[in-house]
Amino acid sequence: MAKPPYMRVENLVKRFGPFTALGGVSLDVHAGEIHALLGDNGAGKSTLIKTLSGVHEPTEGQIYIEGAPVEFKSPRDATNAGIGTVYQDLAINPLMSVTRNFFMGREIANAFGTLRMKEMDGITRDEMLKIGIDISDPSQAVGTMSGGQRQTLAIARAIYFGAKILILDEPTSALGQKQQMEVLKTVMRVRSRGDIAIIFITHNEIHSKLVGDRYTFLALGKVIGSGTRNSLAGEDIRRLMAGGAEIADLEKELSEI
Amino acid sequence: MRDRSESDRLKKETWLQRMMRRPEIGTFAVMIIIIASLALASDGRAFNALGLKNNIAIVAQFGIIATGAAMLMIAGEFDLSIGSMIGFAGMSMAMMLKWGLPFGLGEATPFMAFAITMAMTLGFGWIIGTVVVRSGLSSFIVTLAFLFFLRGLTEVCYRWINQSTQISGLPDYKETSWFADFLGGEVFGWFYDFWFFAGGNVNRRGEQWVEGFDARFLWWLLIAFAAYYVLSRTRVGNWIFATGDSKESARANGVPVNSVKIGLFMFTAFCATMFAACQVFDTNTSDAAKGNLMELYAIAIAVVGGTLMTGGFGSIVGVAFGAVTVGLVANAVFFIPWIDGSWFRVFLGAILLAAVFANESIRKRITGGI
Repeated sequence: MAKPPYMRVENLVKRFGPFTALGGVSLDVHAGEIHALLGDNGAGKSTLIKTLSGVHEPTEGQIYIEGAPVEFKSPRDATNAGIGTVYQDLAINPLMSVTRNFFMGREIANAFGTLRMKEMDGITRDEMLKIGIDISDPSQAVGTMSGGQRQTLAIARAIYFGAKILILDEPTSALGQKQQMEVLKTVMRVRSRGDIAIIFITHNEIHSKLVGDRYTFLALGKVIGSGTRNSLAGEDIRRLMAGGAEIADLEKELSEI
Repeated sequence: MRDRSESDRLKKETWLQRMMRRPEIGTFAVMIIIIASLALASDGRAFNALGLKNNIAIVAQFGIIATGAAMLMIAGEFDLSIGSMIGFAGMSMAMMLKWGLPFGLGEATPFMAFAITMAMTLGFGWIIGTVVVRSGLSSFIVTLAFLFFLRGLTEVCYRWINQSTQISGLPDYKETSWFADFLGGEVFGWFYDFWFFAGGNVNRRGEQWVEGFDARFLWWLLIAFAAYYVLSRTRVGNWIFATGDSKESARANGVPVNSVKIGLFMFTAFCATMFAACQVFDTNTSDAAKGNLMELYAIAIAVVGGTLMTGGFGSIVGVAFGAVTVGLVANAVFFIPWIDGSWFRVFLGAILLAAVFANESIRKRITGGI
């Protein structure tokens, strides 16, 4: 692919005092592609996301968006630069309606602060429909929605408010089998728009194989492998997923117990 | 299977089903029962011309402070300083009216006394709110501190300046000041005029009996309507719900959580001051015990009206129903001579407990049981 990446991360280092959480991570993210970021617990995935979304400032390294170097001092800077992060807790309020959640903090109102509820309901329904969920009643409380629908709401919201790079933090964890598939379908629909780059964090290799275009594997704060869908074989993914350990080694160790 | 989506599982409801699911429905039913039984037990005296006026007076008092308490609870905080704030505001106004403006600035007009007092109470509201959001302490403990602080301050000021913990015999400012009349006078005279015209509302001499409702009735309606409108129709209302539901989610989406909370602590202070102003200009008296326990009634009414203790959900209409219910029962002893007035608290305790359980089940229904 000759197209330059939408976002390029070069040699990102993040230290917390003596602890090096990220030891020089580089990755490219392209529009219309899903970049699967895999790694075991403690591999540095969370730190990487937080650095990319402006929660932490990197100790070293540089982030480029469309070739221009950017610096995020706060999550707001990252949001303004088009980075939309959907965390695991989704930042959704269960007692409030779908529409009220969709526009939380960014309501459409007239000069007196009065909400344009009809307009907001319409936008919410349309945006949800675009990525595949038909909510019959946007005034229903989010508490009545399934986990997959909530995930979709958070994704639709991030996109509507200008995310060009969508960071999804373990979107399929803590969901049932069927809903995981719903979320994967949603992610693929976002991909097919072609203008949004997706960073898909997971530790589920099956999911990453289903949707990933590019892969980066993290272990102990470093990239231990990366490549495109075509360049990596299934066995590589499994091995890298386990932090570089061979399944055969594991089998041997287990049999010795 | 293919053409079935998850949203199909949400059943379409008729208008009646929707109404039955409204959070206010329980309070509404209790209110209707109370109105009917009070009318029966008092031989209709509770709702004759004077009975209605007196009942509305206490309902409006409760309504004003409960609206403030409910708004704050929806945002996830409590204010236990409401009662002491009422006492402080009443003291401040009456003191200025009797002894003149502070620092020897001369006589106080009702408007000046009110304005200076409002500035002080809003200041206290701001301080309370700021302490709560900056320290991260529970508002329960911070406002409990202000409950004692303000009540003590009120008593000290009375004894220090006035040498007595009450002020009475102030001139009737309603006759000379439109502003005092606005707060302590009478409103909706046309209602009683019409009642008289229609043949009722007659005293023993055959003249018109009652001239109008207390002005606090109008203030309650204005405050409740404003609160309803802000909460359900405006951007700030969405912020209030969001703040109470989950502070972190709200903040992550750019809701100014701290400003919302500070603003609402100022709103409860505003409501307490309106309560006190209506009282002072109505009766031309004030004393150090005014507003005692009112913070607890305000919270109880807010809960009876369907406000969740944990925040994020509530209805101003339900709170209005709650104020009517609790106000009528509080006053029932004046219309039913054979009843012991303390049954009021027994009743309040019982419906409060029932309301907490009802609210919890509503919350579960909304959130699908989580």
